[in-house]
Amino acid sequence: MITGPEKRISEKALKVWRLSGGISALVGGVLIAVAIVLIQLFDWPDWISILLIVFGLMETYFLVFLLPKLRWHRWRYEVREEEIELQKGIFIRTRTMVPMIRVQHVDTVQGPILRKYQLASVIVNTAATAHEIPALEEHEAEELRHYISNLAKVADEDV
Amino acid sequence: MSEPKRLHPIVIVLHIGKSIKELIFSFIAILFIGNKGNGGKLFLLIGSLFAITFIITSSILSWLKYTYRLEQGELRIEYGVFVRKKRYIPLEKIQSLDLSEGILQRPFGLVKMKVETAGGGEEAEAVLSAISKQEAAYIQEYVTAAKHSTHSTFDSETVDSTQSIYKITPSLLILLSLTSGGVGVVISAVLAFLSQVDEFIPYENLFRGFGKWAMGNFMLIAIIVLFGFILAWIIALFGTMLKYANFHVVKTEHELIIHQGLLERRQITIPLNRIQAIRMNENIVRQMLGYGSVIVESAGGSVSNQEGARVMLLPLVKVTDFRTILSPHLTEYQIHTDFTPVPKRARLRYLVRSWLWAVPIVVLSIVFLKAWGLLSLILLGLVTWWSYLKSRDAGWAFEQQQLSLRYRTITRTTVFIKKNKIQSLDMKESYFQRKKDLASIEAFVKVGFGGAGGRVIDLEKGDVEKIYSWYSRKNRD
Repeated sequence: MITGPEKRISEKALKVWRLSGGISALVGGVLIAVAIVLIQLFDWPDWISILLIVFGLMETYFLVFLLPKLRWHRWRYEVREEEIELQKGIFIRTRTMVPMIRVQHVDTVQGPILRKYQLASVIVNTAATAHEIPALEEHEAEELRHYISNLAKVADEDV
Repeated sequence: MSEPKRLHPIVIVLHIGKSIKELIFSFIAILFIGNKGNGGKLFLLIGSLFAITFIITSSILSWLKYTYRLEQGELRIEYGVFVRKKRYIPLEKIQSLDLSEGILQRPFGLVKMKVETAGGGEEAEAVLSAISKQEAAYIQEYVTAAKHSTHSTFDSETVDSTQSIYKITPSLLILLSLTSGGVGVVISAVLAFLSQVDEFIPYENLFRGFGKWAMGNFMLIAIIVLFGFILAWIIALFGTMLKYANFHVVKTEHELIIHQGLLERRQITIPLNRIQAIRMNENIVRQMLGYGSVIVESAGGSVSNQEGARVMLLPLVKVTDFRTILSPHLTEYQIHTDFTPVPKRARLRYLVRSWLWAVPIVVLSIVFLKAWGLLSLILLGLVTWWSYLKSRDAGWAFEQQQLSLRYRTITRTTVFIKKNKIQSLDMKESYFQRKKDLASIEAFVKVGFGGAGGRVIDLEKGDVEKIYSWYSRKNRD
């Protein structure tokens, strides 16, 4: 077994994912509520409503508790001098290798939730693919961007 | 050559033709609407006259306003009637100049020149739709000269070592057309056409009478349909023949040059150092006959010209000759024939994956259609055979500097990628794969705008790790 990448992403990622999971669950909940009201109005059988409620609760559990935790535990990354390695995926574990000489440019992005927690994502672009390292501490993301783009510059080579 | 030049006036005709082609359905629509009332006729007449005048004037104007010149190491094109646009392309950025001759260009000894650049967005390319052959040759010379002066290499132009790589023979051409999947394209074109005109055909009236008639003439209809398919197939056959007639490939020092076509002649240039991967496709019929086709994937091309990125190199070739044809010319590439297959225990997973969707269909159709549903067992048989083929064909091989992957979707694909052209590499294992010590590998290369590459599922996990650490720079002593 070859050893995988070691570095974890920020623990605050967990909060961010829970929050965004919560928002999705809320949207789902509203839809379910509307559906239940309609079901009552049209006198459809009650078991559909019960099924929907169970589904909603399970969705909430998955989106807010289970999936963020699993995802966070799986997420690792490592930036070495010559390459970047990522590991992610809950059910399907994917390990990605990106050589530094293939990196075209690096972005940091920050949505409203990430900003609230002073986090940012780093996106590494090659000529053909894009790879996101989600939820790093702001300063860490900034440093990483500089670090990678400097290394990528050194390792310049034609496509 | 610094004074601006215009294209050949035949461009006006080309432009008119193109506009009419684009507007043809609107014309037909106007025709039908206009026929409804009496006042409509006049409206129709004025409308079409107006449209035609507009098309002709705008075509002439756009020809008048389109100029190009070679100046200060740039190809400078200026065009646009109302909005002037200027496009300056530095000569050293030009990747290739592709020539083609359409039916209209041919009688006047003209060619169409496509200028392709490396990166560039949608904008970074240009087409000179009709210029004389001498002019084209001049531009080509000028561009190569400009490129070489910046590269400061002293290989003299005169040592033009061109070697012929491949030339299609008449029998190969016929086999190619017979085994190509072009029929599908023709049928969908016919369907697309029907969907465009169906609003104007009074189907309902037609069908009322048609229903009775159809009962008695079931055979006749079947024959007509069959005949339609055969006709579509023949059209496709000729289409492929015309497209690939005279196909030959030569190699110069730094480029592959492909000539093809009978009515519309094309010439495609691929710089050797832009080649990202070589791909061999064998569809089922061709594979049984021992033939396949070879495609080079290059980093060129642009959004509006995807075909520039995937170029047919050998439209049809005996698989056993593939190596002897290409090895002497693309010396970097090792053409493997021995692939490490997926392990035996992975075969079951291939089967399960296709049964996952096939079995429910079979069950449902037997439940709902009773006896007729049994026909779906044929589907199950095909799917099973297909998944067997898939598992048998999947495999990998690598050399010092090259990864070769083989897999099947419907056609069998073998892709050869140099290590330094792989943009990124993925190693994947699902929960079930992990239990069986299997993993999948996926390599990405740049083709045109976006990525492509190859993916093989359910390889021995140890093998996948071998490939992964081969690609990594960390574990290199």
